[in-house]
Amino acid sequence: MLLPWEYGVRNLARRPIRTALTLLALATVVLLVLVVVGFVRGLDESLVISGDQGVVLVYSINSEENIENSAIPAQTPSLLAASLSGTQQRFGVGHVSPELYLGTRVTTSQRVAGLGLVRGVTLQAPLVRRSVQLVEGRWPQENEVMVGRLAAIKLGASQEDLAVGQQLEFEGRKWLVSGRFAAGGAAYESEIWCQLNELQTATKRQDLSLVALLLAPGNSPAEADLFCKERLDLELRAIHEPEYYATLQQYYQPVRLLAWLIVALVSGAGIFAGLNMMYGAVAGRIREIATLQAIGFRRRAILISLIQEGVLLAAAGSLLAAIVGLTVLNGAAVRFTMGAFFLRIDGMAILISCSVGLAVGVFGALPPAFKVLRIQIATGLKSVG
Amino acid sequence: MKMKMMFGLAALAVITLTAIGCQDPGQPTEGPENVSQQTPATKSTYAATTEPSGALPVGEAREKTVDGEEVTLVGLVGGSSKPFIEGLAAFTIVDAKVPYCAAEEGCPTPWDYCCQTAAVKENIATIKVVDDKGKPVMQDARELLDVEELSTVVVNGKATRDAQGNLSVAAKQVFVQKGN
Repeated sequence: MLLPWEYGVRNLARRPIRTALTLLALATVVLLVLVVVGFVRGLDESLVISGDQGVVLVYSINSEENIENSAIPAQTPSLLAASLSGTQQRFGVGHVSPELYLGTRVTTSQRVAGLGLVRGVTLQAPLVRRSVQLVEGRWPQENEVMVGRLAAIKLGASQEDLAVGQQLEFEGRKWLVSGRFAAGGAAYESEIWCQLNELQTATKRQDLSLVALLLAPGNSPAEADLFCKERLDLELRAIHEPEYYATLQQYYQPVRLLAWLIVALVSGAGIFAGLNMMYGAVAGRIREIATLQAIGFRRRAILISLIQEGVLLAAAGSLLAAIVGLTVLNGAAVRFTMGAFFLRIDGMAILISCSVGLAVGVFGALPPAFKVLRIQIATGLKSVG
Repeated sequence: MKMKMMFGLAALAVITLTAIGCQDPGQPTEGPENVSQQTPATKSTYAATTEPSGALPVGEAREKTVDGEEVTLVGLVGGSSKPFIEGLAAFTIVDAKVPYCAAEEGCPTPWDYCCQTAAVKENIATIKVVDDKGKPVMQDARELLDVEELSTVVVNGKATRDAQGNLSVAAKQVFVQKGN
């Protein structure tokens, strides 16, 4: 026969302060796990979204995976457009976007300075970067820039510093913010875009960093790769954009491993906190547990009741953490080397953190329960406290 | 007893639903209609069984071959960290005279000739396997020809030379030397 459900619930209410403190500790553990998992999920999501299945990037073979270090001749876009038949064409316009991309020190009008990511683009860019949407203001003209909605986070500045009409300074020139854009969470959202020729003039460069091509439906990125392999003198490489961001994901693998290690450590700490709580809770109930055994309750029933207490508390803590996570943390912007991204408290993050919370409840309750159940009934009945 | 049976049934239902739910609806199921288009018979179409004679090393071919000429080349698959083109039967080969990192040097990608980049520029050619219509075969060469990085291959086909000195060969068959 099992102990009544209410018995475990009432036991929690008998020690309200201890229960409240344990609840808080468990909620903190689950929240920490939620933050770390949300970080990993946000980073992954940002990289996955950034890779458009229809886009191929062509850049210098000498820059390895780092497009910022790439320098390719300015005639590459026209060469590619003329040589590749699989590029999307609409109304006579090839969807080929020449881009100059660099990391540079950007200063706001409030003298906040940070490393910004600047991309010089032409009007072809929105044809290829299909997720980009101008949400405020207008496309940049001479000496103007448009900023992604995460650019301020990347710079460590406030959103007001990068509002439309504000002034920025980089590469020795002053630039007026003419617009703001969103890109559905893609990496470009932490960038500053300006006209390609303006950026080339400011940086005294005539070359490009990359060419982004949008393939017509049914065409393979292999065609661009074959072109690069046949024109070995150009020292170009072509990579399917999702593959490029998958490579970046591999680059950030140590960070992700570290994050999962933190999850493991925090979970371990949580289990010890749970153990501590349950040891304290059962230590004062030796006589009560012995009495339950004396009146006929089996050890298994008492063990289940003790686990029930731990799980109830852990479930309440997990629920509390999930509410805080979803209402406060979800969508919070995080600054990172490659830009910025949003914390993503999604179903998977909730599942992992709540599983950790419940595991803390179960495994935290087991050792003290076994310990107290091993005591002889007669000894237990005579115990003090 | 009744409770146990109900619990058992519920557990079975959950496991079944999870198994169904985990299956990607977009994923093709295994079956005769979804087997790879490439069969061993077509694989042998592009993989030559006899080695073509009179093959020129890549470096020599780059000097002697003119555009449009029929040429037989021999070389090692390599020249970059990814000499094969994903999803297309094409790859680059390098003249065997260009040394690559020995196994004991611990280089993870010896086929990129990282210590010989200058020599590679003058000793590299692109091979594309083409069908009867002259179009590149849309399948990875590794699967099509059972070839890998640093394999020695002998190809015969039509050469394309450009003003910049690039050499590419459109071959209908590729002979892969065994024991490499």
